[in-house]
Amino acid sequence: MTIFLKAGSELRERLQPDVDYYTRKVETEEGKSIRTILEELGINPAFVAFAYSDGSIKRLDYVPKDGDTITLQPPVSGG
Amino acid sequence: MTAELSSKEEDRYFRQLFVKEWNQEKLKQAKVFVAGVGGLGSASTYYLAAAGIGTIHICDGDIVERVDLNRQILYSEKSIGKPKVEEAYRRLSMLNPEIKIDITNGYLTKKNVSTLIDGYDIIVDGLDNVETRLLLNTLSIEKGIPYAYGTVQGWEGFLSLFNPPATACFSCVMDEGLEEKITPTLVPGVLPGIIGAIQASEVIKYLMDVERTSLGKLMVYDSRRLAFDVITIEKNPNCSCNKL
Repeated sequence: MTIFLKAGSELRERLQPDVDYYTRKVETEEGKSIRTILEELGINPAFVAFAYSDGSIKRLDYVPKDGDTITLQPPVSGG
Repeated sequence: MTAELSSKEEDRYFRQLFVKEWNQEKLKQAKVFVAGVGGLGSASTYYLAAAGIGTIHICDGDIVERVDLNRQILYSEKSIGKPKVEEAYRRLSMLNPEIKIDITNGYLTKKNVSTLIDGYDIIVDGLDNVETRLLLNTLSIEKGIPYAYGTVQGWEGFLSLFNPPATACFSCVMDEGLEEKITPTLVPGVLPGIIGAIQASEVIKYLMDVERTSLGKLMVYDSRRLAFDVITIEKNPNCSCNKL
């Protein structure tokens, strides 16, 4: 199946987007969590503070469906 | 402080007094604690003071540096080397002498935070690190004081209004990756101004019981693509806030 991962801020460079400035198209197998998919891409899940999709927060154990777009945000602490 | 407005106050707030649902008397009675007067806190306190919040307590232990001046709009070249809270007090008092401004020239710590935030209606986040946010989050839950969260990095800014047990808390959302150290904040100066101003708007609405749109929501603003994502956040059943 195909999912789309988007990343903001410092995480974007780790994700290596290939669709547009923010987005990477990922081919993966059904049943894998966001955490597992990130690990398989060589991205340490600890770099993700939170993820969201369809207007709601998703935990890293969320299992995406075909066509899902998941936005990943790194820890941000500036003020 | 009497809730009744003086004629001078009626003049000052005239342009907002008759906005539907506006309640200037409530703002005059309100007590707001601002944790940090850097980029976010400069913008939020400026608008909170201008709006007529009756009591604002600002807390920060930093000294103004030249590198702050791209975004920390309370300060000027003449502020360099001076304590931020003293310069902020001077600037905000000039802006609105009708309100009370208290200052603490020091950082929030485990020892002082409980006493400092006691009795305030809401806490405004102007911090620059996760550790103090976690501390403030815990104490705000224990004392039942809502926490107006904000942060910025790069082109992006986040904000929310946490008010457990009715809503999620800071830790419910940021439950992953907190150990990762962030590089020094790189940010276009205008971004904390935008997020700080929206924080002030949300605080004002909260205090006046107007639509509380950021309760249970997290706003992600990407200034690069002019996009606001508003995400629904729910309590994390595994979060420590459920035990407080």
